[in-house]
Amino acid sequence: MLHNWIKIFIYHLKQNKLFSFLNVLGLSIGIAGLIFALLYWNDEHSYDAWNPEKENVYQVLVDMGEGQAWPYVPVTFDPFLKDDSNIEMMMHCLNWYESPLFKYNGKKIIIEKLFNTQNNFFEFFPFEFLQGNPKTALQNENSIVLNQKTAIQFFGKANPVGKQIQFEDKFLKVTGVYKIPGNSTIAPDAVVNNMKIRMNVDKDNWGSFNNGWFIKLKDPSKRDELSKKLNSIYFQNKIVKEAKEEEISTTEYELRYGHFNFILEPLSVSRLHTKGQGSPEGKGNYQFLLIMSGLSLLILILSIFNYVNLATANAIRRAKEVGVRKIVGASKLDIIKQFLFETIIIANISILLALAIVEFALPYYNDFLDKALVIYESQFYLQILFIFIITVTFAGVFPAIYVSNFETLKVLKGNFGRNKSGVWLRNGMLILQFAIASFFIIGSYIVFEQVRYLSNKNLGFSGDQVLEIFYYKSEAIRNSQNAEQIIFNNYILVKNEISKIKGVKQATTGAFKFGGGNDASSGFSYNGNNIQAQNLAIDFGFLEMMEIKMKEGRYFNPEIASDTIDAMMINESTLKLMNEKNSIGKTVDWNGNKFKIIGVVKNFSAYSPQGKVPPMVFFHFKTVPWLIGNIQHLYMKIDAENTAQTLADIESFWIKNVDSDYPFQYDFVDKNYLRTYKTYVKQKNLFALLNVIVILIALFGLFALASYSIERRMKEIAIRKTLGAETNVLLTALSKQYIVFCIIGFLIAVFPAYYSLNKWLENFAYRIDISIYPFIIGFVALLFLTLSVVLSRAYFATKVDVLKYLKYE
Amino acid sequence: MITIQNLTKIFRTEELETSALSGINLQINEGDFLSIMGPSGCGKSTLLNIIGLLDSASDGSYTLSNQEMIGLKEKGRSSVRKENIGFIFQNFNLIDELSVYDNIELPLIYNNVKASERKLKVEAIAEKLNITHRLKHYPQQLSGGQQQRVAVARALINDPKIILADEPTGNLDSKNGNEVMELLTDLHAKGATILMVTHSDYDASFSQRTILMKDGVVFSEKMNQRNVDVFKI
Repeated sequence: MLHNWIKIFIYHLKQNKLFSFLNVLGLSIGIAGLIFALLYWNDEHSYDAWNPEKENVYQVLVDMGEGQAWPYVPVTFDPFLKDDSNIEMMMHCLNWYESPLFKYNGKKIIIEKLFNTQNNFFEFFPFEFLQGNPKTALQNENSIVLNQKTAIQFFGKANPVGKQIQFEDKFLKVTGVYKIPGNSTIAPDAVVNNMKIRMNVDKDNWGSFNNGWFIKLKDPSKRDELSKKLNSIYFQNKIVKEAKEEEISTTEYELRYGHFNFILEPLSVSRLHTKGQGSPEGKGNYQFLLIMSGLSLLILILSIFNYVNLATANAIRRAKEVGVRKIVGASKLDIIKQFLFETIIIANISILLALAIVEFALPYYNDFLDKALVIYESQFYLQILFIFIITVTFAGVFPAIYVSNFETLKVLKGNFGRNKSGVWLRNGMLILQFAIASFFIIGSYIVFEQVRYLSNKNLGFSGDQVLEIFYYKSEAIRNSQNAEQIIFNNYILVKNEISKIKGVKQATTGAFKFGGGNDASSGFSYNGNNIQAQNLAIDFGFLEMMEIKMKEGRYFNPEIASDTIDAMMINESTLKLMNEKNSIGKTVDWNGNKFKIIGVVKNFSAYSPQGKVPPMVFFHFKTVPWLIGNIQHLYMKIDAENTAQTLADIESFWIKNVDSDYPFQYDFVDKNYLRTYKTYVKQKNLFALLNVIVILIALFGLFALASYSIERRMKEIAIRKTLGAETNVLLTALSKQYIVFCIIGFLIAVFPAYYSLNKWLENFAYRIDISIYPFIIGFVALLFLTLSVVLSRAYFATKVDVLKYLKYE
Repeated sequence: MITIQNLTKIFRTEELETSALSGINLQINEGDFLSIMGPSGCGKSTLLNIIGLLDSASDGSYTLSNQEMIGLKEKGRSSVRKENIGFIFQNFNLIDELSVYDNIELPLIYNNVKASERKLKVEAIAEKLNITHRLKHYPQQLSGGQQQRVAVARALINDPKIILADEPTGNLDSKNGNEVMELLTDLHAKGATILMVTHSDYDASFSQRTILMKDGVVFSEKMNQRNVDVFKI
């Protein structure tokens, strides 16, 4: 039996090489798309999945009502929680990675992801220990535990445990080596226990939201109780006390300075569903994950439709075979089995081809997602099996049943070609295919428009020829008594020297990063409005150099002494919140001091073009010295001519005079800024690629279906021709129905496309409005493609030899 | 072997009711060679299709080997058909995509005959019908007469109780037509039971008995005198 089936299968494969190939290709592209989405899905969902503590470990976030919760909290709660029976243990940490330089045996190595935490870190993230004891490894402050890969970097094959590596003027002893079992929201290259100094600084300061905080609970179901407790502790110790000092009610206080809500978020949701800004490893883009999965499913559906459509249309050609088989004794089930068998072979080939496509395209895909996905995983093979079953079920069962129901008698009498059964279904699927294709055309055009809008948007500053150099501050300096003064004096020294280098037009700095972020924000109250503004400390000339314009007032001026004492600037967003018509010269009470507004800065998109410009306040470094610690980069404008030489000069100066150990790292501001909406550019490209694939698959389906249905109508065409029909009349008759389908499909797609793209556009503070153009363009494109396919088929049909079809039967 | 009593077949469409067969009585014994004649639309093909279990009757009784066939479900009909009935059609109805060998073998496959046994049987019948040298060819590479012989081989391969032939010479020239009729006569001589529908008096003359149908009833029945001495050919 199998042998017989295979013979027929191969015969048809050979007879319809092109159609078979395209059919398999369409199906494998659909499957490949789903595999890509699955790999991405698996990867994102594997974060912390390995961690047995994922349901017991909670991170404390503070929700300040700004939409996103803050992952840094005060360390002052500890004494109040000593007797809480539900807390198993707590861990404070820096909650971001440091990248310090270490030395060993003359080698200088930067540990890119050093995590500073407390000694019980491995109770929260139980990495697999290859050497050492996780319970005692971080006992001392001069201990360091290394990731396997880092250990090899330092010591090669030698045993790392007990070795000393140098950090600035300290030596750290390696006490363990670990391996991270899977994706982890905290996945450091090395871990140290060096929180004591940081915690001491903040131990009584309820206003210092500086450190990460993890709590392991005994009974996770009672986490809300703990959350309430944290809120009430904070309320008693901060709000009540300070409200009393200011002689206002606590309600009034919260109205002015904001309400802080402490929430506990389990590790299990911290990758994809966090309310916070994400872990040190960043957070997953759940929306994009859903988009990817949804689109790939759509494409698979499209290719399965194609398959079913072709299989049923083709089945008419095989009607005689089926009839004969039934006559000589095949039961319905035999026929179903045979056709399922063919689908199984096709599905197998398609999956193999899909895997080949995936294997080939994976590097590009990884580059696109910034990941290192691999195909080999047991879970993945189960999913492949599942895809296989789904494909065979949906692509195979229907055509098989359809075929098995052919009435033997009709088939053998030879008038089966005009059989109408199944036509409604094929047409229905064709309409849905048109709908999917319309959705993609409209969607990708809107995405294209939005991304173009973003890249052409006036950012309010110019990063052209502006260099940013990473300014590394050693721990010794950071922890010293007068850290701010040392850092600032150093900066002034460097700035003056660098300004002398040929090609450097101007050097200055601001304590934030274009296309990055700013870690300082304070609330203040004005006219009874609470404003949570970003604190931007800058040096003279910074805004001018970045070509950031003023709306009113003036820039900071080194000639005016008060500018470094009590002057501040605000941006337009702040001004709006302040509800003050004439702001220049007004006084603002900010963090307990009074400041005079000397200027209003025009809004500029410092962090990303898609986000709203937050309220900002500007100070000179000397005015608010504690912001000096946030200096991360030096900015300098350099000549467009001889850029390379200027860069080389700056580098050699830097290595000689500023930092001989830490590597010289620089970037151009405009280039770096591009990265902030790289994701959207990538999404645009992805959508464009998918668009091409979808349209190709849909057109192929249309082509095949039109061919078959015209073939079925050959006799009709022949009769019309003998009766004197002209070619253009015939063409109209043949293509009319497809145009109707095209219109219906398009109409079905309009609303979903509008709705989902509108949803997508909500990501952007600055967005286009969906106009009618994408729809018009989508419709015209679809109609044009449809007509060109159908008309070309129809045209050939009208040119055939009439006799051939009239003689037959 | 076959007894048909008062068999009727009515085709119904929304507006129209057409009676194709109205009260047919027929008896076919083992070893009979029976031909049915009549003008187009007299119901002869419908009768053949009902006997061949390709179509169902509206009323009456049809027993095959003492088993009632009326009211049998598709599944039951299919299994009775594959064990008892061999078909020969005017347009041969061979599967173009399969070789001659594979076409002949098909009924055996659906009757779950073992592969080794299938090979022996196909070769034996090919030899008998003189198409051994054509086994590897595809139907379109053969002449009409050869194709019909392959169809006969396929109809016989399963040793059916009765062979139903629907205008077996309709698509053939007279030489090839003659060959096929002689083949059928030969089979009959060796004991096969054959029921044939035909337009041709000449073809009918090869059979023992001719039934003439008109408007859904058996009009007349006559015994044929002609005896062909097949062993002389």
